[in-house]
Amino acid sequence: MPYQDIALLSHLMRRAGFGATPDELDRYADMGYEATVEELLHPENMPPALDDEDLIRRYHVDENGLLIVDSCQTYLVYRMINTSRPLEEKLALFWHSIFATGYTKLNQPKAILNQIEMFRRNGLGRFRDLLIEISRDPAMIFWLDNKDNHKDAVNENYGREILELFSMGVGNYTEDDVRQCSRAFTGWTIRNATHHTVRASQDSVWPYGRLDWQYEYRGDDHDDGEKTFLGQRGAFDGEDVIDIICEQPATARFISRHLYNFFVADEPQVPAWETVPPRDPDAIDMLVDAYFESGGEIRALLRTMFNSDFFKGARFEKVKSPAEMVAGAARQSGGFAFPEVEDIQLALQTGSMGQMLVDPPSVEGWHTGREWVTTASLVNRVNFAVQQFADDTKPGVRSIVERVQARGPGLAPEEIVDGCLELMGAMIVSPKTRQELVDHAANADGDGESSERVMELLQLIVSTREYQMA
Amino acid sequence: MVATDQLYRYSHTIGLYSLQGRGFNNPVDVALGEDGVMYALNRAGPEVASRLPNKRVTMCTVDEEYLGEFSSGGMGDGQMMWPSSIALDSDGNVYVSDEALQRITIFDARGRYLDKWGVKGRGDGEFNRPSGIAFDGDDNLLITDSLNCRVQRYTRDGRFLESWGRPGRGDGEFNLPWGIHVDADGGALVADWRNDRVQRFDASGRHTATIGVPGDGDGEFNRPAGVATDEDGNIYVADWGNERVQALRPDGSFVAKLRGESGISKWGQEYFSSNAHELRERQKSDMEPELGPMARGSAREESANIEKLLWGPTAVKLDDEGRLYVVESCRFRIQVYQRA
Repeated sequence: MPYQDIALLSHLMRRAGFGATPDELDRYADMGYEATVEELLHPENMPPALDDEDLIRRYHVDENGLLIVDSCQTYLVYRMINTSRPLEEKLALFWHSIFATGYTKLNQPKAILNQIEMFRRNGLGRFRDLLIEISRDPAMIFWLDNKDNHKDAVNENYGREILELFSMGVGNYTEDDVRQCSRAFTGWTIRNATHHTVRASQDSVWPYGRLDWQYEYRGDDHDDGEKTFLGQRGAFDGEDVIDIICEQPATARFISRHLYNFFVADEPQVPAWETVPPRDPDAIDMLVDAYFESGGEIRALLRTMFNSDFFKGARFEKVKSPAEMVAGAARQSGGFAFPEVEDIQLALQTGSMGQMLVDPPSVEGWHTGREWVTTASLVNRVNFAVQQFADDTKPGVRSIVERVQARGPGLAPEEIVDGCLELMGAMIVSPKTRQELVDHAANADGDGESSERVMELLQLIVSTREYQMA
Repeated sequence: MVATDQLYRYSHTIGLYSLQGRGFNNPVDVALGEDGVMYALNRAGPEVASRLPNKRVTMCTVDEEYLGEFSSGGMGDGQMMWPSSIALDSDGNVYVSDEALQRITIFDARGRYLDKWGVKGRGDGEFNRPSGIAFDGDDNLLITDSLNCRVQRYTRDGRFLESWGRPGRGDGEFNLPWGIHVDADGGALVADWRNDRVQRFDASGRHTATIGVPGDGDGEFNRPAGVATDEDGNIYVADWGNERVQALRPDGSFVAKLRGESGISKWGQEYFSSNAHELRERQKSDMEPELGPMARGSAREESANIEKLLWGPTAVKLDDEGRLYVVESCRFRIQVYQRA
């Protein structure tokens, strides 16, 4: 298989998924790049994301009830590693980062997993539909206080954030638009709101654990009066204002920039977007065009993006998030398909690297890019990755070792190093890094193609600066 | 919803969420001892250091008198990591299977550690994730050796006697078997979990019947976890994936299903006596809310929303006084039903 094909597909799968094994890459290479993109964009044509969810719920009984945030995080990481629908899961993580809803306020982690499941179902569809779903999502209603948004006592929290952080961005609406938008969402609440609020406020799990939340529309609490919103006038409700929001060029630009930041290359943090122009304005324009041509369908934007030159040319220009680091290394090394006692360690690792899944630090979500890397988190990232490649009984590690060995015997140190780099996802390293790896291979004791020597190289490769990048 | 009226009526509930002490934490099984003493086995995940003490055996009575607890999470003698099933020998000693530590741990009736045995492997006398356990009439222990897809019989001190079964879908074959029960004739019923059926064997391990097919209809199963029989030979199955218990005639034909009727336990009432504000709001709430499109049609999601329904039923047991006990791993309680 041509190296360039493998390199491009490896790049695609790091961004549109959580990486791919050499076996998976072989299959994608047989299909071709554009067909692979189409497969990713249509998870509904794939088998169910998980064959073995029943196993997880049997052996990890806490991941059946999902009462505890640790259990929810473990379940989520398990899905990232084992899903057969990589883009569906990656996009769920993307939306979880945008519509950031946190356990710390809710004390109801399964509600956030339910929200993430909603992202799986709607994440590729029209942005309008997604905004309607998130506006009806019980966890979001609780998170941004829309249960306290009443006809006679407007709470502007959700009305403000849907404009500022979920669609248009600061500078594209007025304070009065916030007010009118909030009025439109009055009466969008959760059933038994007072009871659930009391339980959540004291983190009550008694007598028998938590109770899920359900959306409820209360017409008697909805302000159906006339509103003027973004220059349009009418007796708008929430769906009407979402329609108006989704017609705005600012919305198309805002969501395009989010997609670019997550899938293509690191941008500054969202609060800077009002003043800092996009890294690649032409790319954003192309995505905006796709937005309007498709009626705001996320699938169309992603198709445009993944098939673009700006995407294909952006290899290793993003710092891996902790979730990408953990799920990527685990998926690559293998051995996490069947439930084991230690599974929770994976979720704890993402937290120690700075990303507490199901519990983003604020409504802004996580800060990304270089902010993922601190002195402490870098040590955790490297140690974790090295640990995954220290065991050649793991199926992924074994597969890489055997593929290297199949190229021999009698490989030169350069050939061993280049083979390892290729099999680790067509990694690009600096000439200095490559020379260090070659020197190590040349000076290794014994057979350079032995399992131990190849694993040493793999561990060195995942320790490099370059492995921190996606 | 409940169609077991001709057989059993809801009596009461035992349980309360608790990390330690009075109450349960992901209970997966219960053993019924002498003088009304019950031993509830708490699996209590996830496996982080701060939560290991939550793994334990809770001793109480059917009337919710709390009698104490023993064991904890860990790898030492008398500790457990993935406890799966609990059974009592004729002397009242308590046996616990552990799927992570690959062993059987033995305590006396008061919870003092006595012994352990078991070796991980595939050969005779070895097992891989021992799940369900039950004693036969000779005080030998039957174990579902789940990852090896077979049943093994041991003396109670751990000497291997025999095994039967292999991976597959045919008669006498298994796919990750879970619960096991020894009936009055010394035969065994096995919850053949991933084959969505119950299999019956005579006292020598010969296959005699296969009960149920995959599905959520009457007499169909979705990952059955536990099984028991009453004095008339009727069969009760903890239909885990369908979040219900099914009652069947001795020939396996469908009689009734039980979806759950739980009220507030005595321990729960004690909780509300010191949290009156929460109780008031609860009483004003609709405890059976209409479900949204994502939850509708899913038994598991219904159970996550409607408290009285069974959620994660892993074991079903019967006592000599006509009571049926259903252990709910996700609701931290045992629903008790009385024979009509």
